[in-house]
Amino acid sequence: MSQFLGKRLLALIPTLIGVSIIVFVVMHFIPGDTISAMIGTQYKLTEAQAEALRAYFGLDKPLFQQYISWITAALRGDFGYSVRSGEPVLLEILQRFPVTLELTIFSLLIAVVLGIPIGVLSAVRQNSFIDLFGRFFALIGLSMPNFWLGTLIILILSRYFGIMPNSGNFTSFFVAPVENLKQMIFPAITLGFAFTASVMRTTRSAMLEVMRQDYVRTAESKGLSRRKVIVNHSLVNALIPVITIIGIEFGYLLGGAVIVEDVFALPGIGRLLLNGIQQRDYAVVQGTVLFIALNFVLINLLADVIYAYVDPRIRYD
Amino acid sequence: MKQSFFARLLRDRSGLAGLILITLYLLAALAGAFALTPYPPNEQHVEDLMQPPSAQYLMGTDIFGRDVLSRVIRGATNSLKVGIVSVTLASLIGIVLGSVAGYIGGQFDNVVMRVMDIFFAFPAILLALVIVAALGPGMRNTILAISVVYMPIFARVARGPTLTVKAKEYVLAAQSIGTRRSAILRRHVLPNITAPLIVQVSLALSWAILTEAGLSFLGLGAQPPDPSWGNMLSESRTLLELAPWLAIFPGLAIMFAVLGFNLLGDGLRDLLDPRLRQ
Amino acid sequence: MKRITLFLMLTLVALLALSACSAAVPAAPAEEAAPAQEAAAPGGGTLIVARAADAKGLDPHKQTAFSSFRLLELIYEPLLGLNETLEVEPNLADSWSWSEDGLTLTMNLHPGVKFHNGDVMTSADVKFSYERILNEETGSAARSYFSGIQSIETPDDNTVVFTLAQPNVSILAAMTNPNSAILDSRTVPDEDPSKVANGTGPFVLESWEPDQTTILKANPDYWREGLPKVDGIEMRIIPDEASILAGLRAGTIDWALINDPKIAVSAASADSELVIDRTPALAYHVLQLNSGREPFTDERVRQAISCAIDRQQVVDTAALGEGKVTAPATSPFYAAPLDELTCYQKDLEKAKQLLADAGLADGFSFKIMAAADEPPTAVAEAQNIQAQLQEIGIETEIETLELGVYVDRWLGTDFDAVVALNGGNPDPDIMFYRYWHSTGNLNKVAVYNSPELDKLLDEGRSAQDPEVRKAIYLDVQKMLTEAAPWVWLYVGYEYRGMQPYVKDFTPMPNGSIKYLRDVWLDK
Repeated sequence: MSQFLGKRLLALIPTLIGVSIIVFVVMHFIPGDTISAMIGTQYKLTEAQAEALRAYFGLDKPLFQQYISWITAALRGDFGYSVRSGEPVLLEILQRFPVTLELTIFSLLIAVVLGIPIGVLSAVRQNSFIDLFGRFFALIGLSMPNFWLGTLIILILSRYFGIMPNSGNFTSFFVAPVENLKQMIFPAITLGFAFTASVMRTTRSAMLEVMRQDYVRTAESKGLSRRKVIVNHSLVNALIPVITIIGIEFGYLLGGAVIVEDVFALPGIGRLLLNGIQQRDYAVVQGTVLFIALNFVLINLLADVIYAYVDPRIRYD
Repeated sequence: MKQSFFARLLRDRSGLAGLILITLYLLAALAGAFALTPYPPNEQHVEDLMQPPSAQYLMGTDIFGRDVLSRVIRGATNSLKVGIVSVTLASLIGIVLGSVAGYIGGQFDNVVMRVMDIFFAFPAILLALVIVAALGPGMRNTILAISVVYMPIFARVARGPTLTVKAKEYVLAAQSIGTRRSAILRRHVLPNITAPLIVQVSLALSWAILTEAGLSFLGLGAQPPDPSWGNMLSESRTLLELAPWLAIFPGLAIMFAVLGFNLLGDGLRDLLDPRLRQ
Repeated sequence: MKRITLFLMLTLVALLALSACSAAVPAAPAEEAAPAQEAAAPGGGTLIVARAADAKGLDPHKQTAFSSFRLLELIYEPLLGLNETLEVEPNLADSWSWSEDGLTLTMNLHPGVKFHNGDVMTSADVKFSYERILNEETGSAARSYFSGIQSIETPDDNTVVFTLAQPNVSILAAMTNPNSAILDSRTVPDEDPSKVANGTGPFVLESWEPDQTTILKANPDYWREGLPKVDGIEMRIIPDEASILAGLRAGTIDWALINDPKIAVSAASADSELVIDRTPALAYHVLQLNSGREPFTDERVRQAISCAIDRQQVVDTAALGEGKVTAPATSPFYAAPLDELTCYQKDLEKAKQLLADAGLADGFSFKIMAAADEPPTAVAEAQNIQAQLQEIGIETEIETLELGVYVDRWLGTDFDAVVALNGGNPDPDIMFYRYWHSTGNLNKVAVYNSPELDKLLDEGRSAQDPEVRKAIYLDVQKMLTEAAPWVWLYVGYEYRGMQPYVKDFTPMPNGSIKYLRDVWLDK
């Protein structure tokens, strides 16, 4: 097992180097430069001033050299400074990451708490009203763009209920849990809706498959109660693919969070990234994307490990 | 088993529903492409600004008095264009890379799949976003971004079955009698990876529609005045209260198109994946 | 043992909680000193402010974005101010006087004004600040307003004497600009003003998290007695103005800046207690043509475009009717009557004739550049203009760019045409000189100039009598609309949304929110 882990971790290194190169190169295709974006519309810098600023931020060196100095610094945890705020990029990321992490974890919880039971019920009572409802709900969930759902939720909440999930006064869970939950619940529903749908669908089809297996039928024929059969035999086995799908999709929530944070004005790394793109804050965009990719890769690795652990058929190689 | 594949698909409830939705979507896209909309989608009717849905304008008008229905129809054309072109590009390149890598194996396979792994290290929407941000907004770059992001998935889907088929006796036999590699790939490998690929194409189309809408929503996709469902939604964001119809109809359009491909994908999977057949 | 530890901890926690409570109870105010007026307008409380865009930086001399001014004008102050009708009034300078020849301007400073760090502001700080603005290396946005200053002298701590190369009355208006803020000469050389804010203004910057939250505290030593009335301001950045409106409705925001007329109209259309201030703006929406590029080098082509555009239609569509068609000068005193200006009535026949005369009877095509959300109406304006120009056979393509790229291209004059929202000013010299005088710092972007225009602008700058200036700038405006290097479209409104309990805010046509210093919360 540890060997398996070690191997997988080693294999991450070239991937992450590739990721960093892609991020770095792509960012430098962007037209327009950081300096003018900082200055604003009504004034022109002299060429000398612009050059001085560029030199100050190291933007005048050759691309390759910029990459090398960026990546060696990044390995030491130094992602450079935001041109916008003057803060270290890593600090900004770490300040905002808890928001994104919390959002994704809440979405995950919603998906598990709603998705698995509905999926099980759907499978057990195949073609019943619950099943049809569940399947319909799942299809809508998979087809509804989250930015539309979020917009509709905001409209309905503010217009008809006078509630606003977040008006820029984001509070940490550890400072004011209730306030924090009030701000998080609707973004989490928005982000978690599609996730719930896919967990539900996976649970349902895995359950259906397991319930057709011989050993379940045997257990049933031996007169075990249906509830016991479902819980002891079917559900446990059906959970394997569900865990896999959760592992895979949990990583994708990081991507979805970018848009949901934009819609709900949550100060997570998604908004940090979008702001960075708009302001051509190279260091911030590079750092954020690299950070998200790192998390994504680690989450996928974790999912693999859990999968290997749960499913004895997988060999560690 | 003699029944045609299509007939069986029609009898599958999700498959049928999916086909109906997709047909509607295709019809709308065609109507948009051939200018068969109630009004020209970009025509401004200054005397009818922000009209709610009525007999004259079935889905209302926007701040320029443009007919929303006509724009939704034209939006279908744009979304289909992005979807088809990007999925075709992604699948062609992906399938060739994946099956060739799988078939040749060795160092080539290793390198190709490592590079693909790098793409898998990004959440898809994030990668698409960063690419379009870098290349600049517009439909062409959206298509490029979606192709790049989806290509590795096709490569992976094509590679797996290729590895399996490669070890089969008839392929080994063909090799031993000196059949050319390309011929083996075409004759023996390709037919065997069709089933998972078709499902993948259907899912990829739904994902491409969503991504295009998402990028346009962030202002990176189709550029005004050209209507896209995403940019219509993004324009409607500040008008939610004054003109809710501007947000409702393009949103529904995206949902039904994506739903159609998801349903079709389900139907196809039921038919093609024997394990799930009931 | 365990039990004892637990007991100790509980006691500790209780003690801590107690001490926290007592710290939170404000000290009882000394009541006998409170005058009657203050009883009617009690102070205190934190004002929660929301807006869509954050300041781009903290150095007041360098900022150019409206969004930066809206923060810095609370922290820093210039020598002079504008009142709500945009007349120049004393600020850090109590009074000023001109010499007979109009070449010497003497400022008498308000004594005892303190910077936030406790330093007393003197004439040395004023001299230092103006020299910093004039130093090319600073890269100050205000430099060109003051380029006529030859020397600055400080006969005593409270007197500053500016000597000018030639008479220039508009320098007073320039001295009200947030870019003309007075900095502390003792700290600035060591502390970068882009990192440390140290002004004389009513609010002290406590923390700035870009694009998130800015915390301002009332300046306890503020030189205007009794101000500011609130204890502080929490300024939140919410990029989506629909969310700002939702927050106002939900009561989580007290006061907000609204730029998008669509949001302001939504806010006003629903039944609610919210107060929406709607003040005609000075900033103007404009279609800038690049007269250095074919076919806009031909005056007739530019005129054809100007004649083909119904400006009111642009307002009705892009801004939902929220605005007024404007002359080149936007302050009411100097604005030319619209019927005296060329092509302010849509005239398709004339437009087509002009195109035909220019040899473009079959039309042509060009690109209109617009920034994504700057202002929120920009892309919509471009779309309506596009539709209107189609009527005379001109095809246009709209390029929507992110602000950074847009600014680059704008400054580099790398466009055929561009829709922009440009800042206005009560003084037409400040509005026109930098764009239309051949030596103006932005004439490169505006491109067009002419000897006659240069002459008029120079005359306007040095003329003293307002009526004489008005006549001069009427000619300037006629000349500009005749040559049509730009198509001036409309002025919108400055919107401020607030709760009914937010009292005594005075809106300003230039968008300034400095009067937040008067605001108090009636709740």
